[in-house]
Amino acid sequence: MLLEVENLDVRHGRTHAVKALSFGVGADEIVTVLGSNGAGKTSLLRALQGLTPTSGGRVVFAGEDITKLSPPQRLRRGLALVPEGRQIAISLTVHENLLMGVYCRDDGDIARDIKRIYDRFPNLGARRDMSASVLSGGEQQMLAIGRALLARPRLMMLDEPSLGLSPLLVERLFDLIVEIHRDGLAILLVEQNTQMALEIAGRGIVMELGRAALEGAAADLRDDERLAAAYLGDGHS
Amino acid sequence: MTNATAIGAPMKSITTKALVVVVIAAVFALAIALGGRVIAQQIVSGLMLGAIYLTVAVAFTLTIGVLNFLNFTIPSLFMLTGMIAWGLREKGLLGFAGGWAWLVALIAGVVVATAASLVVERFTFRYLKTRHGDATEHAIPLVSSLGFLLIFEHLVILTLGSESQRFSVPFKADIHLFGLVIGAPQLVSLGCALLVVAALTFVLKHTRMGRALRTIAENPEIASLLGVEVTRVVPVLFLLTGLLCGLAAALFTVNYGDVSPFMGDHVGSKAIAAMVLGGIGSIWGAILGGLVVGLTETLSIHFFGGDSVEMIIWGLLLIVIIVRPRGLFGAVAVGKGKL
Ligand SMILES: Nc1ncnc2c1ncn2[C@@H]1O[C@H](COP(=O)(O)OP(=O)(O)OP(=O)(O)O)[C@@H](O)[C@H]1O
Ligand SMILES: [Mg+2]
Repeated sequence: MLLEVENLDVRHGRTHAVKALSFGVGADEIVTVLGSNGAGKTSLLRALQGLTPTSGGRVVFAGEDITKLSPPQRLRRGLALVPEGRQIAISLTVHENLLMGVYCRDDGDIARDIKRIYDRFPNLGARRDMSASVLSGGEQQMLAIGRALLARPRLMMLDEPSLGLSPLLVERLFDLIVEIHRDGLAILLVEQNTQMALEIAGRGIVMELGRAALEGAAADLRDDERLAAAYLGDGHS
Repeated sequence: MTNATAIGAPMKSITTKALVVVVIAAVFALAIALGGRVIAQQIVSGLMLGAIYLTVAVAFTLTIGVLNFLNFTIPSLFMLTGMIAWGLREKGLLGFAGGWAWLVALIAGVVVATAASLVVERFTFRYLKTRHGDATEHAIPLVSSLGFLLIFEHLVILTLGSESQRFSVPFKADIHLFGLVIGAPQLVSLGCALLVVAALTFVLKHTRMGRALRTIAENPEIASLLGVEVTRVVPVLFLLTGLLCGLAAALFTVNYGDVSPFMGDHVGSKAIAAMVLGGIGSIWGAILGGLVVGLTETLSIHFFGGDSVEMIIWGLLLIVIIVRPRGLFGAVAVGKGKL
C-alpha cells in the first residue's frame, strides 16, 4: 500500500470528525470516499495532508510515518491535495498559479511540464497572463488539478472536485481523473456524486459520522442498498 | 470572495491610477506656479520628508498586505536604529571607526532593528500561530506588537535616557539647482527609498519568493498546500520590515540630525496615514501616500504654522477615505489577498 491510515482520529474541539479510521490506498488504485454532508470526508483529507492535526493514529506514506510532517513536507514526498472549493490564488495570474505548482521542485523539467499542462488544457493557455479570477468554474478546476500535477505527486487526493460543475464538465472531469490515474498516479477521491465515483474507482469507503460504515469493491457498493441508507444520514443504520 | 488586488491583478485601473498621479502633480505644479521659488523649495523639502514616510509606510503595508497584521513595533524599530546609533557613538564604542563612526553606528542601528524585528516575529507571530491555529485571525499579534513597542521604547529610555539628542554627520553638501537648495543626503535618501521599494516590487512580482508571499497574502493554507513552509517565509517579511525601518531611520537621522526615544511615534503615525491614504496593501499606494503626507506637512507648516500639521493631514485622510474608502491605489475589497 502506498498510503496506509491506521486508527486515524480527528477532532475539532468537541466534534469528533474522524473516529479510528483505518484503510489503505495502493499505488495503482483509485479509492473513493463517500458519505453525506458532515460525515468527516474533508476532515479526513485535511488530516492526511497535515492541514488539520490528528488526535490519534498514524499515517504512513511509501513506508514512512508522515503523521508529524507539515503539508509541504508531505507534498515533497508525493502526497498532494486538491482541496474543497478549488482554492486557486485569484491574486495571481494563471501562469503564476502554475509556477506555484512547481514551487516545491528544482529540477530541469519544469518548463516542459508546464508546457504539457497548457497542451492538456488549452483554455488555460489562452488565459495565461490573466488573473485566475477570470476563469470559469470548470477552468478553475482544471487549473487546480494542473497545478497539483506539477508537483509530480504519487498520490493525488481530490475533495469534491465535481462540486458546482455542469453535467458535461463533470463527465470531462471524471475522464481526466481516469487519465491521470493511467499516467501512474494513485487517486483518493472524495465525492458526493456517488454513482460516477464508484464507476471509476476500484474500491470505495462510505463514511458515516466519522466511521467507515461500509467498505468494499466499487462494483459491489454500487448495488448495495446500505449505500443509499448512509445518505439518509440518520447514522444508525 | 471576489476581491481584485492591488499588485497581482491585471492593471484594469491603471488609468485611474495615472489620473490620480496627474491630478496630484498638477495641484503641486499650480502651487509652484502661484508661489514661485519659495513654494518650490517647500515642495522639495516635502518630497524628502515624504521619502522617510513612504519607506516606513511600505513596511506597514507589506505586513498588513501579507499577514493581515498591523505591526505596531514598526515605530520602535525606527527609533531603535537612531538611538542605538547615537548610543554607540556617545559611549565611545566606535573609536576604531574614526571619521566613519557615524556610518558604522547607523549600520549597527539597522542591524539591531532588523534583529529586533525577527524577535517580534518569533514571539508574536510564530508563537501564537502554533498555539492558537491561524494567528492572522486574531487581534493578539496586534496587541502583543504594541507590547513590544512599549518594551523597546522603555528599554531605550532606561539605558539611554529620554532626552532628545543630536546626531551630527561630518558633512553638509547642498546642491544648488535652479536656485533651489537640495540637501545631498536628502536627495540620496529619496533615491535610496525609491530604489529599495522598486526592488521590493520587482521581487514580489517576478520571483519565486514574491509569488509565495502573494499566495500567503491571499490564503496561507493554499500556500502551504503548494509546498510553501509559511513559518519559514514569514520571517523574511519581518526581516524586510526591519531593514526598511532601519533604512528610513538612518536617512532621517542623517537628514535631520535629531534622535529621541519617541522619534518613531511621530513618523509611525504619519506612515500609517500615508499607507491608508495610498490604499492598504498597495506598495505604490504607500509611496504616493508617503510623498503626499510629506508635502502636506511642509506646506501646512509654511502656510499655517506647525500646529496645523496634524489637523490638516488627518483631515485630508478622512476626506480621502470618505470619497474613496479603499485609498488612492487600494484594491476594491479590504480583506485578505490585498497584495
Ligand atoms: N474547522 C472546524 N471546526 C469545527 N468543526 C468542524 C470543522 N471542520 C469540520 N467540522 C465538523 O466536523 C464534522 C465533519 O466535517 P467535514 O467537513 O469533514 O465533513 P464532510 O464529510 O467533508 O462534509 P461535506 O460533504 O459537507 O463537505 C462536521 O460535523 C463539521 O461540522
Ligand atoms: Mg467536505
